[in-house]
Amino acid sequence: MATIQAGESYGFFTDTSVCIGCKACEVACKEWNQLQGDSPSFLADSFDNTGTLDAQNWRHVKFIEHVPDQSATTGNGTAWLMMSDVCKHCKQASCMEVCPTGAIIRTEFNTVFIQQDVCNGCRNCIAACPYGVIGMNSQTGTAHKCTLCYDRLQGGLEPACAKACPTQSIQFGPLAELQKAADVRLAALHSQGVKQAQLYGRDDKVYGGLNAFFLLMDKPETYGLPNADNAGLPSRNDAGGYLAALVTGVLAVVAGLVAFRRRVTG
Amino acid sequence: MVYLAAEHFASPPQWTWYILFYFFFAGIAGGSYVLGTLLRLSGDPRDEAAARIAFYVAFPATVICPLLLTADLGASWWKFWHMLVDVTPGDTGLNFKYWSPMSVGAWALLVFGFFATVSALDSWLRVVPMLLNRLFNIVGSVFGLFIASYTGVLLSVSNQPVWSDTWALGGLFLASGLSGSAALIALLIRNRPEASISLGRLHQADGYFSVLELALIIVFFITIAVAGVLSRVLPWLPLWAIAVAGIAGSLVEARGHTRMQAAGGSATVAGVRLDTVVVSLLVLLGVLAMRAAVIFSAQ
Amino acid sequence: MTNHWRDIKNSDLILINGANPAEAHPVGFQWFMRAKLDRGAKMIHADPRFTRTSAVADMYLRIRTGSDVAYFGGLINHVLQNSLFHDEYVRNYTNASFIVKEGFSFKDGLFSGYDATKRTYDIASWSYETDSTGFAMRDKTLQNPRSVFQLMKTHYSRYTPDMVSSITGIPVADFMKVADLVGQMGKPDKVMTIVYAVGLTHHTTGGQLIRSGAVLQLLLGNMGRPGGGMNAERGHANIQGNTDHAISWEILPGYLKIPAPGQKTIADYVAGSAPKKSDKNSWNFFGTNYSKFMVSTLKAWFGDAAKKENEFAFSFVPKPAGNASWMTIYDQALKGKMEGLILSGMTAASIGPDSNQVRQALGNLKWLVVMDALPTTSSEFWHAPGVDASQVKTEVFMVPTTHWIEKDGSFVNSGRWSQWKDQVLPPQGQARHDHWILADIFQRVKKLYQSQGGKFPDPILNLTVDYKDPLKPELDEIAKEINGKDLTTGKQMTSFALLRDDGTTTTGDWIYTGSYLDSGNLMKRRQGVQDTKTNDPTGMGFYPNWSWSWPLNRRVMYNRASADLDGKAWDPTRPGITWNGSKWVGDVPDYPPTMNPHDPAAWLPFIMNGEGVGRLFSNSMLDGPFPEHYEPVESPVANPLHPGNSASPVVFLYDKAAGRPDRFGTATDFPYIATSYRLTEHEHYVTQHVPHLVQLQPKPFVEIPYELASEKGIKSGDQVRVSSKRGKVEVLALVTKRLGAMTVAGQKVYQIGIPIHWGYVGLSADSDSSRGRYWLANALTPFVGDANARTPEFKAFLVNLEKM
Ligand SMILES: Nc1nc2c(c(=O)[nH]1)N[C@H]1C(S)=C(S)[C@@H](COP(=O)(O)OP(=O)(O)OC[C@H]3O[C@@H](n4cnc5c(=O)[nH]c(N)nc54)[C@H](O)[C@@H]3O)O[C@H]1N2
Ligand SMILES: Nc1nc2c(c(=O)[nH]1)N[C@H]1C(S)=C(S)[C@@H](COP(=O)(O)OP(=O)(O)OC[C@H]3O[C@@H](n4cnc5c(=O)[nH]c(N)nc54)[C@H](O)[C@@H]3O)O[C@H]1N2
Ligand code: SF4
Ligand code: SF4
Ligand code: SF4
Ligand code: SF4
Ligand code: SF4
Ligand SMILES: [Mo]
Repeated sequence: MATIQAGESYGFFTDTSVCIGCKACEVACKEWNQLQGDSPSFLADSFDNTGTLDAQNWRHVKFIEHVPDQSATTGNGTAWLMMSDVCKHCKQASCMEVCPTGAIIRTEFNTVFIQQDVCNGCRNCIAACPYGVIGMNSQTGTAHKCTLCYDRLQGGLEPACAKACPTQSIQFGPLAELQKAADVRLAALHSQGVKQAQLYGRDDKVYGGLNAFFLLMDKPETYGLPNADNAGLPSRNDAGGYLAALVTGVLAVVAGLVAFRRRVTG
Repeated sequence: MVYLAAEHFASPPQWTWYILFYFFFAGIAGGSYVLGTLLRLSGDPRDEAAARIAFYVAFPATVICPLLLTADLGASWWKFWHMLVDVTPGDTGLNFKYWSPMSVGAWALLVFGFFATVSALDSWLRVVPMLLNRLFNIVGSVFGLFIASYTGVLLSVSNQPVWSDTWALGGLFLASGLSGSAALIALLIRNRPEASISLGRLHQADGYFSVLELALIIVFFITIAVAGVLSRVLPWLPLWAIAVAGIAGSLVEARGHTRMQAAGGSATVAGVRLDTVVVSLLVLLGVLAMRAAVIFSAQ
Repeated sequence: MTNHWRDIKNSDLILINGANPAEAHPVGFQWFMRAKLDRGAKMIHADPRFTRTSAVADMYLRIRTGSDVAYFGGLINHVLQNSLFHDEYVRNYTNASFIVKEGFSFKDGLFSGYDATKRTYDIASWSYETDSTGFAMRDKTLQNPRSVFQLMKTHYSRYTPDMVSSITGIPVADFMKVADLVGQMGKPDKVMTIVYAVGLTHHTTGGQLIRSGAVLQLLLGNMGRPGGGMNAERGHANIQGNTDHAISWEILPGYLKIPAPGQKTIADYVAGSAPKKSDKNSWNFFGTNYSKFMVSTLKAWFGDAAKKENEFAFSFVPKPAGNASWMTIYDQALKGKMEGLILSGMTAASIGPDSNQVRQALGNLKWLVVMDALPTTSSEFWHAPGVDASQVKTEVFMVPTTHWIEKDGSFVNSGRWSQWKDQVLPPQGQARHDHWILADIFQRVKKLYQSQGGKFPDPILNLTVDYKDPLKPELDEIAKEINGKDLTTGKQMTSFALLRDDGTTTTGDWIYTGSYLDSGNLMKRRQGVQDTKTNDPTGMGFYPNWSWSWPLNRRVMYNRASADLDGKAWDPTRPGITWNGSKWVGDVPDYPPTMNPHDPAAWLPFIMNGEGVGRLFSNSMLDGPFPEHYEPVESPVANPLHPGNSASPVVFLYDKAAGRPDRFGTATDFPYIATSYRLTEHEHYVTQHVPHLVQLQPKPFVEIPYELASEKGIKSGDQVRVSSKRGKVEVLALVTKRLGAMTVAGQKVYQIGIPIHWGYVGLSADSDSSRGRYWLANALTPFVGDANARTPEFKAFLVNLEKM
């Protein structure tokens, strides 16, 4: 890959059809970012014992079993879905929208980054992120998520997770190149008759486009991702919420004035 | 407004007890301030004693708010001021995002804190001339209304199930905050017999607010049902029941006092009776319970 | 592997049996995905469980464990019956045309020559008819009824799709889909690879399972070709290096046989061990050079003490009378015939079959030395949960060694590439390198012999230890020694073809000759993808200047078979080596570089065999010249082919042979089939010490088919007990549709999956109140070995399942 340059948009194309659920990405991320991980627990949920993205897990491989109970299947990434989930580095980032401190910024690589020294742990971003990406570290009192290996990019290195992924399910690069690669892959799958393959976040239908976008083998909801109809920014509720409050306020003031009105008799 | 097919995959922000009490006190602070102002604007001089109680209530309730918020920040508590000042290297300045209720709220709390403090001081020292005072109260009340309501909007401006599926929360929190404030002031009249003349009116106001609140609860449930997340609210029905009990109490109490007035009897009640104590406590409990029900149903 | 990892990208069809590469070889698996993504290759995975490999395969077949001989047999039958084999290849490059001696027979599951009391075959009747010159008779028309081809056709005719389905549980329609795909791979412009690992070897039919694949590949003309081959994915990072350097008891370095009792001279040894030339065009390279390899090895070991006059010190080499394979060691300990044991980099208490019995064996020792970087179930066996430490007499020594990450040296991967690595961390604590510990022990033993004498001091006193510091040899020095040198010139040997048996050359392991030249250590070479044009001139992914592979840096073995009789590539888009009119070009040729293919004396392609061709029929297996399906020793059904001889008649039954009580169960008490295997998240037992990996798979569990779980009221996360005749595990249940019921021999059977990674040592055990008392998967497995390698049957046994 060409050198990593400030001013260019970078991201991930995660092709779930070739993910083998090895979790190398999870571990590589923890190793590079010195995350301890959560205390071990058996979740009895397929091969997933990580559970969710949080402050200790910036990559999380989801396992969704749709294996038909029969001898032969076509496998092909459709029967046991695996998806390495991560911060989407949304073009229109819900987290960034609500953050009151300005801790969440867009970097020179067009990625979404939480400045640890600025964040004060209010957790508004957690309430906002539609992907359940962000978690709190109670030790630091700050919000954490994938940095898209900001430090590595600055040093000209590709992110640790992409580097570790053995099957190139996670591809890192300039967004435009990734989008091209994704289109080619989708076309190939469609021509092989894998019609359910679809790109998610490649276009601007969800959050103006995702810097970390995916090739999925089923509907987005199956993977726990909001579909295009269901992807809204938090600010969509500003107007409605304030309007209802305003109307209530006016009615309440009138009601108060009426209740407290000057008495007729002494 | 965008209506979403309400399937959410957001993580809960773990806003729990500190935030619950913050929401409660913000409602009381803003609500009391507004009631104090309305008593002064609409009532007669005999209501001044009750108005002062209102401002006395608004002050400590306001002071507690930033403390609760700071405590909620946990290990980062000392960075509370980052809400107002952006310390991003190379991009320092004041933080203000009109589309982020938390950002606006932080400023509103600061400004309202000023109003609440001055008004409480003045209630004690009585130095500000009346007209100026009224004007000051009116402006302060605008912030009071904001403080009492924006917390509901803040919840809605998110991607959490329930919270972001309704637009009623801001209004609901305001109505309930006002109702709770009226109940609290009524309760406190116990220690201020000279204010008991306002008791009936406070109950009456509480009644109106409760009607508003009830209407908004209905709107809330309808919006939630339409979004298909009713199931997340149902486990918290007992809390809603407490809130509704508060509303019912207010209505009964208000009806009693309205009758009394209509009967032309001396509109003065000798002092706070047991019914006021019970109803007021129930209303306040309801204010807390309703907020708890809303906060918990998303997380 | 006959081929190598990167080569898998050259395949059209990838048949995966008895391996779960996405989980056990995730990095190598990138080449499977490249084949799929870049050339639209198809991937077929047959496995009892739907695994992470199945998830990305094009077809998944739920197969009953231990039944792949039948699956391959069905494919072979399909290819033979429909003449889908690669005709030119089969005629010229395999022993299909060889005539088998009268007297060979196969009936009711038994080949000729069976001795029921000894439970062994006399394999003399499995040989070729010879002519007056002593060479095998051939019929290139393949019509002779005693030709290998015709015998084979008859043998496999029983493996009809219905029979395959009845044995394997694979529905006929699904099997036929695979047969159609595989059947196309006999065309010269198509090539298939077969990939396997311990899902085939861990059976009492292990050897024959692998031969089945090889036979299919020979028929389809896929051996020796890029994108083809029979590819074993090896285990630990350096398990290939282990076997190359003779970790197994029955071989010397470079797969020379261990001498047998009675062999007094090199000539005796070669006569008893080396392959014999059976065709005039067979080079028989191995057989011809056997004595050169052996003598050069002896020269490396014993230096000046190895002289022509003393048969190059051949008498110094042990000549074991009995079997000494892994299980035999513990069997001997159980019998009280072992005094002590040194375990290095291996934890006996977890890994062997019937671990309760193995633990008993360890308790029968006087002393046990564990050389390891970390505590293991062996170093801690004496105070394992439930064990009364005061009752264990064994004295246990823990010798802290460096972990591989704390030393340099080579890793040899499955593709035979010996890649030199650097030390990553300095040794921690008091750890010492294994080779330093061994060197130290050796010097001390030597001193004892020097001072006190002994029965046979010669091998000890004369062993060469020509290192700068004999107590602290460097691995680089050892690598140089292994390559060998010319004693006359003092120069490093450049090829094993130049080794001599006159005492003027040395080698530590002849297959590594050429790896360390005067110019330096070729295993350190790193000319790779930085510059693909220069470093991969053929574009086939050979990268000849990246590390070094044996033999002689050849990337695809038997590559003469990648070209036709004229020396042209079967598929010009995927050449191995080709004849350019004056020499062979492409990969490093497995053939004399300038031997003209049209020369009447041109050697046949498989230069290592006595026959010079690939063996469809083999007389070097102890359990049959053709693969035959036998049931696992514990099976819920009788063999549908020959119920009278259900399991292999020559498996080695240790308990029976030692007179211990029978420890096999039957389907009445233990109705479910179990298999054991790995998970991506752990490496055997050692990663029980790695927090990040323990988080990924924190608790021992078994995988249970959904339907069976419903019958038993078991839900995911419930505690269950799985028991066999030998022991039990008490772990959590993971209920899944990835396993399911199947119909075998008309009967409904269930398979249960048991990951192997937990025991009573490590973070998971530390956090458990019972300290992982019933967590050892091998508490369940049977103590029985296959006839050839004595490999245990880890992959097929009977269990019962209860909800706790
Ligand atoms: N993550 C990880 N990787 C490893 C290791 C590890 O411990 N962890 N160990 C390394 C070592 S030492 C080795 S030897 C290799 C082993 O590599 P593999 O052989 O791939 O590993 P296993 O998981 O033991 O078995 C492979 C598969 O065989 C299936 N199987 C069982 N019986 C049969 C059968 O009769 N027929 C067929 N077709 N399939 C069957 C099992 O269900 C399993 O999915 O892995 C190496 N790589
Ligand atoms: N039921 C069942 N049993 C099985 C299998 C199965 O599939 N099913 N698979 C079998 C197979 S294929 C294998 S390979 C075995 C694996 O069994 P083992 O090889 O015993 O397993 P590991 O945990 O890899 O053990 C390696 C040990 O080597 C140590 N070590 C690492 N580097 C060094 C070094 O440089 N020097 C020394 N001295 N020690 C070092 C590690 O700390 C670790 O304790 O299990 C076998 N057992
Ligand atoms: S995925 Fe969530 S955390 Fe990441 S940029 Fe989008 S909104 Fe922010
Ligand atoms: S927790 Fe930190 S990053 Fe998130 S919204 Fe609050 S200040 Fe911003
Ligand atoms: S980009 Fe870096 S921080 Fe983000 S998931 Fe990958 S390794 Fe972790
Ligand atoms: S490293 Fe790659 S293949 Fe492995 S789980 Fe992550 S995304 Fe999937
Ligand atoms: S652990 Fe090492 S040997 Fe095994 S797949 Fe990963 S890189 Fe390869
Ligand atoms: Mo292994």
